[in-house]
Amino acid sequence: MIWDLYLVMPLALVFIGALFLMLFSLVKQVELTNYNLVTVAFLSVSLIIELIIFQNVEHDYLFETIFAKMFIVDKLSTLFNILFLSGAILTLLINNNYFKSRDYYNGEFFALLLFSIFGMMMLAHTNELITAFISIELASITLYVLVGYNHHSPKSSEAMLKYIILGSLAGVFFILGVALVYGVVGSTYLGDIYSYLIHHQNSDISLLVVGMMFMMVTLLFKIGAAPFHSWVVDVYIGSPFPVTMFMATTLKIAIFSILLRLFLVDFAPIYPLILEIIKVVAIATLLLGSLLAIAQTQLKGMLAASSIVHVGYMLMALYAIGVGSSFAASAIIFYLISYFLSALGAFGILSFLASDEEKRHLSFDDFKGFAHERPYMAAAMTIFMLSLAGFPSTIGFLGKFYIFMSVVETGEILLAGLGILIAFISIYYYFKLIALMYFYPSPNPKKRFPFAISTLLIVGVALMIVWGGIGTGLIPFVAGADGLLTIASEALKTIGK
Amino acid sequence: MIELSHYLVVSGILFSIGVVGVLRRKNLLMLFFATEIMLNAANIAFAAVSSYYGDLSGQMFAFFIIAVAASEVAVGLGLLIVLYKKQGTLDLDDLAVMKG
Repeated sequence: MIWDLYLVMPLALVFIGALFLMLFSLVKQVELTNYNLVTVAFLSVSLIIELIIFQNVEHDYLFETIFAKMFIVDKLSTLFNILFLSGAILTLLINNNYFKSRDYYNGEFFALLLFSIFGMMMLAHTNELITAFISIELASITLYVLVGYNHHSPKSSEAMLKYIILGSLAGVFFILGVALVYGVVGSTYLGDIYSYLIHHQNSDISLLVVGMMFMMVTLLFKIGAAPFHSWVVDVYIGSPFPVTMFMATTLKIAIFSILLRLFLVDFAPIYPLILEIIKVVAIATLLLGSLLAIAQTQLKGMLAASSIVHVGYMLMALYAIGVGSSFAASAIIFYLISYFLSALGAFGILSFLASDEEKRHLSFDDFKGFAHERPYMAAAMTIFMLSLAGFPSTIGFLGKFYIFMSVVETGEILLAGLGILIAFISIYYYFKLIALMYFYPSPNPKKRFPFAISTLLIVGVALMIVWGGIGTGLIPFVAGADGLLTIASEALKTIGK
Repeated sequence: MIELSHYLVVSGILFSIGVVGVLRRKNLLMLFFATEIMLNAANIAFAAVSSYYGDLSGQMFAFFIIAVAASEVAVGLGLLIVLYKKQGTLDLDDLAVMKG
């Protein structure tokens, strides 16, 4: 019992923090920065406990006497929780300036954000489909509100409108899929579905497969894979910067946590039926995402569209898992971490500029001569773009390398070739920004580097990206980027069947 | 004799009505109604399967789904009020400006 209380501590802390902030948001005298710091404090304590749990936990169920086997605690769920928490902390701290520069933020924003993180953490722990549905909805419903948080802006409201209609429609498919699975199996536990599929190999399981396909539709929608990707660009452009950042990084990781668990445990017996679909979806996501990204004129839109392409790479690795690659699953986790760092930094710079200057940096043309105006920011932005494009000596390169390696390992040379081709195409829209920043004269005089918590963190993230790319093995006794891969594969081993 | 499959067929028909509603309707309020119909279709399926297996958990889940549906509509209605105050209409064709 005490052990369970210890395991549930991070979740409970986030939940208590959310309630606390919700009550205190009524107090008008508190400054916005203090709300932010209280939120970060709750998240940090939770993160520290998660880090300790990660060392000790193997495979456990949370309060087994009360919840039966609904909540699982293993290294995989703990690793994902660490990612959500650090993503949220970085998002909040990097946007510290942005919150102060806009008048529509208040304490409730932080409470909602904490509820969303609570939903994501539950999602990583879930071992049961209804719990999965409730946590997906908890994470999404709060995000619907956050997307429309700037109620002065028609764009923000429209983004919320599109997200809420399409998101709830997609959510319904998940619940119908669960109903069908429950009708066939008589249970909604992931392990039970697996053993049903193993024991009934000769009987008719078409209804079960249809149900699982419905569930896949929802998950593919939420990560923004083709053909359900049309909402991504509009919603990302319309929502405020902190929310865009949060959606692009943390929400994507959260959905992948349940997708990986479902794919590795439940879908294993029916791989022959669904692999072709995954392959087609991956190829379509890569191609359509690239087309969208090339067409964008706004920087935020380009980052949104390129996030679709990055999902495509990860779906390629998901296909490789099914064909039998040994390290594709850990490659996905590694790629998630590398994408998370790069996107966080790129969105962070945009949000800092939006808070620091009168002129809004929105389109590519606004960045002409940026390197002469703010050399350090431009250097950091270059690192993020290089990492997103997968240039060697950044962590993004290693991420792409592992993904392509896992695909090549399964013998799908053509698919890996397509991935590399798409990576070459992506150089066009990432390097366009670098060229604009460096090869044009600047209309404004050079500015000093502003020392603030946001800018220092952005530089820190940039250094982490470079360290992840080249620091590996240079510093003895410190785990490099390869260490992350080992951690990921260790975490995947504890997943139970 | 009414069997499990009958209930599932009813649930399927309701679900299809909901899908058609989401695709065809232009009014925002009607869209939320349509999603509500779809969620209730899933509820029928859950309750029917639950009584078929004699397993109470299905009915419990139906209650959870009702709660989730209610909170989703609560957020949706909040958005609806903001949009109506600002634009004076709830027609989707007038509301959508961005083309991404």
